[in-house]
Amino acid sequence: MPNLGSKTRAITLIALCGAVAAVAVGAASAGSKRSAGTTITGAGSTFVQPLVSQWISPLGSAYGYELQYSGVGSGAGVAAITARTVDFGASDAPLTSDQFNACNGCIQIPWALGATAIMYNLPGAPNLLKMDGPTLANIFMGKITTWSDPAIAKLNPGVNLPSTKIAIAHRSDNSGTTFNFTDYLSSVSPAWKSQIGSGVAVNWPTGSGGKGSSGVAAIVSGTPGAIGYADIAYAIHNHLSYFRMKNNSGKYTTPGLRGILSAAQSDQKPNADGSLSIVNPPKKFPNAYPISTFTYVIVPQQTSKAPDLKKFLFWAVTKGQTYGPKLFFAPLPKTVLVEAEKSIAKIHS
Amino acid sequence: MSAHGMGASPLQIKNLGRRKAVNRVMELLAWLAAAIAVAILGVVIWSVAKRGASELNLNLLTKPPIPFSLTNAPQGLANAFVGTLVVVGLATLMALPVGILVAIYLNEFAPASIRNGITMVLDVLNGVPAIVIGIFVYGLLVVGHGQSGWAGAFALACLMLPLVSRSTMEILALVPNSLREASLGLGVPQWRTTLSIILPQTIGGILTGTVLAVARVAGETAPLLLVCSLVGPQINWNPQHALQTIPVAIFELSESPDPADHARAWAAALVLLLFILFTSLGARWLANRSRRKIAAR
Amino acid sequence: MASAELTADARRRPLSGRRLRFGDVALQVVAGAAAFGVTILVLLIVWKVVEGARPAIEKYGIQFIWRVAWNPVVGRELYGAGSFLFGTAITSIFALILATPLALGIALFLTELAPGAIRAPVTALVETLAAIPSVVIGLWGILVLAPVLRSTIEPWLHTAFGFIPLFGEPGTTGASIFTAIIVLTIMILPIVSSICRELFLGIPHELKEGALALGTTRWEMVRGVVFPYARGGIAAALILGWGRAIGEAIAVTQVIGGGVYVGWNLFSGGDTLASKIAASYQGASTNLQAASLIYLGLILLVFSLIANILAQWIVRRSARKHGITRGGHA
Repeated sequence: MPNLGSKTRAITLIALCGAVAAVAVGAASAGSKRSAGTTITGAGSTFVQPLVSQWISPLGSAYGYELQYSGVGSGAGVAAITARTVDFGASDAPLTSDQFNACNGCIQIPWALGATAIMYNLPGAPNLLKMDGPTLANIFMGKITTWSDPAIAKLNPGVNLPSTKIAIAHRSDNSGTTFNFTDYLSSVSPAWKSQIGSGVAVNWPTGSGGKGSSGVAAIVSGTPGAIGYADIAYAIHNHLSYFRMKNNSGKYTTPGLRGILSAAQSDQKPNADGSLSIVNPPKKFPNAYPISTFTYVIVPQQTSKAPDLKKFLFWAVTKGQTYGPKLFFAPLPKTVLVEAEKSIAKIHS
Repeated sequence: MSAHGMGASPLQIKNLGRRKAVNRVMELLAWLAAAIAVAILGVVIWSVAKRGASELNLNLLTKPPIPFSLTNAPQGLANAFVGTLVVVGLATLMALPVGILVAIYLNEFAPASIRNGITMVLDVLNGVPAIVIGIFVYGLLVVGHGQSGWAGAFALACLMLPLVSRSTMEILALVPNSLREASLGLGVPQWRTTLSIILPQTIGGILTGTVLAVARVAGETAPLLLVCSLVGPQINWNPQHALQTIPVAIFELSESPDPADHARAWAAALVLLLFILFTSLGARWLANRSRRKIAAR
Repeated sequence: MASAELTADARRRPLSGRRLRFGDVALQVVAGAAAFGVTILVLLIVWKVVEGARPAIEKYGIQFIWRVAWNPVVGRELYGAGSFLFGTAITSIFALILATPLALGIALFLTELAPGAIRAPVTALVETLAAIPSVVIGLWGILVLAPVLRSTIEPWLHTAFGFIPLFGEPGTTGASIFTAIIVLTIMILPIVSSICRELFLGIPHELKEGALALGTTRWEMVRGVVFPYARGGIAAALILGWGRAIGEAIAVTQVIGGGVYVGWNLFSGGDTLASKIAASYQGASTNLQAASLIYLGLILLVFSLIANILAQWIVRRSARKHGITRGGHA
């Protein structure tokens, strides 16, 4: 016969189940009441993630929006918005025509302007060592393997470079930053262009892969002798050194606001699909940082969330830009801003 | 050690020294193996405890994370703790009744061949890698609808089901047949016997099995990574959206370059570890107690 | 008629010989539906995985399985499982090689050698190791184990044993196949050792004591009685441990470094089937890439099922041989 002990246990079990059920049901109803219509989800580029992260709190206070952004890489962001599993996608690599077709009525809007820094970890060496395109390409092709290589020493006379082996860090996922970086390498190195080419993912001849910009930053900061590429905000945030790159006018520039804005002058009018190309600007822009890039938000032109999306995007390209400079995102130039606002206005439900 | 054998051959006695030496070596190796296991466990737990303790504070449980924080504002992993509570809670609600029903069917109703067959199916389900369960739930629930806490809960429920079923079956088998016969002999219908007489005896064992299953899935990352990981930093209770969970948070923080992120990962790992250790050990103690009680009848 | 037979009989034919009550039928139908629902679930899992992999299966066919390539570059997309199959094989087999003597040693220690005071705590400790989630072991692996391996162990092994191709050029980050092997060893050790421990506990005392009485040393008794008797169970334990090792995605992906690698250098980065899926699934940007990843999952599923069913068959066969009724858990 059941005794008191097991009856108590039965009651305990039922109470436990009841508590769990109450939590779950309460959660579902409370959650759905609070966040109906005010959650905006997005996914994509880790390049722009530092900036978008700064928008979460002010958007919440300004409009009550819950912005949820996942940095899964530009490629995955495009896939996510194509499958409409998020409200917007973010990519530093402009969509190809195939991707536009697959996305079925998406528009591409430049919403931030930044630069890819080439970060390095070399204990004992100063910050802001000099580097140029062809040498960088040779390093990433595996042709230059130690820091004391004459090609690097030639660029940095008077600096004592140890003979540490160079450890390459690249992206393992589909990345708009990879696109920006390989686009640059292709334009400065014919060998790179023919053997490897450019894209959101390439066949890296050497090196280890990290997931997301922070994965690359993690490899660089944890590996003496490492070189990797990511948005400049990651180098700043993680106290990593980065190179001064030689541009076409012969000057060595840094991925700061001046270098980025100067590069942005080389392409002031977005193409019909919204994209711009400011990589490796010609020499008439002497202060340009050669690995700068615009980055884009991809949204469906027709969506049930059109009013909220438009409010969010208008805010992003105007007020949102003010959060950029301390992370080395330059504000959108006037001409680009005008085109962006025109594109945003096209979104309808 | 060796006993003096009766009628041992001269060869056996001559080799005795060597055989004893070999024996001693093997015993030492066995001690060494055990010491290595204890050492590994000690190192891992010590690492988690030492590195996690410093960041273990109330903020971890109550404050949401601030991605790319440019200030030193306090942040934590509140969204992950809330999300784990909801997702694991829903998973338990899904797996528990089904698991108990399966065990009842197999133990009280099923002919031997079906019992063996479905037990084998349960073992197969137990052996499916968690990442494949993630792929399955992605194809079933996420495609076309987006990620959600429900999908995460369902994936965890698939992992819990074999554990709940198996432990319920074991405890049902321990209930002596005399109880069933007495009840049936008194004219109580079988369904009443099962639900009102047999089942209450097993509550302790079911509780134990459930707690062990919860401890198992509380740390499960792979399926959640696929179906419930596109999240924001806000604290969210609604399972219709993807919710952050502790194991996924630890996974993401572990790959970050920021030492502050690592510290939070260690702290969350410490909380998770303490929860799992506490519930596992407690459940096993309860199980032994309940098993002894039933068997003593 | 013995009372046990009566009840067993009633269980086999619950609805015969008694008035059919609605409650009986209802409970049996509901419970039976749950039980068969489990079967449907497993079939559904297999079906969904096959369906998800279909675009890749149709495009690449069976050659996908051994092709060594993973090129996600749009326009030049080409995928194959070869390098990940290799990675899965090399990590799981080496982990098994390392874990087996350790697990057997622990099991023997706990059943034969441990003084009573130590036995229970050490048993609990080993079970605790099994309860640690894989993400925590992976966290420890990236932040504690990998730096130690990178700075100390790997260079030492390379200089001391570099002539063996296994210990080639050490990597730069500490994330390597070698690190993954260590992590997997730690993860499968508790499973194999606890199964073996229960096996050894189940060996009839008379057999062991008989051998000892004949003058064998303890080790000779283990070698002559314990191992042969438990042979089937040990094999099943190893297969189950192997199955666990091939399915581990999270801890492996955290420490293995990533890459398409087929070669003998354990210090290189690489990927297994499971770790590749975990690393790339979120970021899959074309349908073909996603389908190829699911194809990897399908291959993994097939191997897991084979390991699982094989282990179950061995357990059943050796249980029959030893006259044990199926009751203990694997």
